[in-house]
Amino acid sequence: MNGTVVKNKLIFDFATGSLGPSKSIFTSTYLFLNSKASSINNTFEQLLGDDLFSNDDAKISNLKYNDCLSKPDEQKEEDSNTLSPISKLVGPLNDINWKQVYKGFSEFILNIKDDDELKLIKMEPGASVPLHSHGGKEYILVLSGSFSDEYGNYSKGDIQINDQKIKHTPIASDVEGCICLTITERDVIFFGKFGSFFNLFTFIKSFFK
Amino acid sequence: MEKSEIYELIIKIRDNRDEIAFSKLFDFLAPKLKAYFLQNKVTSENAEELTQEVLSTIWLKSYQYNSTKSAVSTWIYAIARNKKVDFYRKISGISHNEEDIREFLYENNKNDQIRENEIKEQVKKISNDLDSNQKKIIEMNFFENKSHKKIAQELEIPLGTVKSRIRNILLKMQKSL
Repeated sequence: MNGTVVKNKLIFDFATGSLGPSKSIFTSTYLFLNSKASSINNTFEQLLGDDLFSNDDAKISNLKYNDCLSKPDEQKEEDSNTLSPISKLVGPLNDINWKQVYKGFSEFILNIKDDDELKLIKMEPGASVPLHSHGGKEYILVLSGSFSDEYGNYSKGDIQINDQKIKHTPIASDVEGCICLTITERDVIFFGKFGSFFNLFTFIKSFFK
Repeated sequence: MEKSEIYELIIKIRDNRDEIAFSKLFDFLAPKLKAYFLQNKVTSENAEELTQEVLSTIWLKSYQYNSTKSAVSTWIYAIARNKKVDFYRKISGISHNEEDIREFLYENNKNDQIRENEIKEQVKKISNDLDSNQKKIIEMNFFENKSHKKIAQELEIPLGTVKSRIRNILLKMQKSL
């Protein structure tokens, strides 16, 4: 699948409500920052809404309309509506307790119960990540600043999706650096009778990436 | 019921807290919402509870509905979808509340400058481009949430064919968007 198709699949899965928590937060932030992605999501939701309205009726056994006339819950206050979904979870990006991985590169891992790991990464102006590839698929969304690699230039609201075959050397913008939200899918580990054989194979293969 | 009628009911509920309008909306929507939850593999009892939650939300939050942002069916669909997601998160023990994020996303989408008619045309264009086999697959995969394997079994075609067809459909959609 090429990148755009993977992006659209991600948006489609968000629209149908079939993403796990990490990808769901990632995608809602993406839709918040990127108007093109947001209009694609609208189209999908429109399709799904039409489909809902054309459903065959299921038989209602107990429910009556006046069961649904509930009173407003006073305690629930309306949230302020100017922050992005990720900022609502972690607060202002500048106040995050970043953990430096090496000079110019820090990260903050969000503690979310999910197979996919959601984290924020921050690259200082001009910092680069050495050439690498990925075990699982990696999703990168630019929240502020920009970075570029062999495949192009990515700025606020852009996403890049990398699979195992991709090798790249991202470099943060000289001026503003770069803050991104990323998802790393866990590596596949093989179990069972031939497990060790497959793992050995994966291990050897990793040297040729 | 026509969409325009549903729209009028929502407006009556929003502006006048009209219970008669709400009971009409209930009669139309409750069986369809329940069908949606059943399709998503929710038990009959829970499906009815979720239907109640969706309709309560419509009653309480009708003031949030903005016709310039989305069609009434899209608004209602998003509420139902979010209830489904929260329901499954609850069973799997994931507690952090995401509903607020999604509501806020819907509320704040100032980017939706595409008018409803344009969206409708896009949707129509996509649907016209798909042949009946593709429509069936889209329906099973995206609306009934069936796995690729299940689709392959039910349509009696190889798994690889299902996967490549879905890929083609997504490509087609991407081109027309």
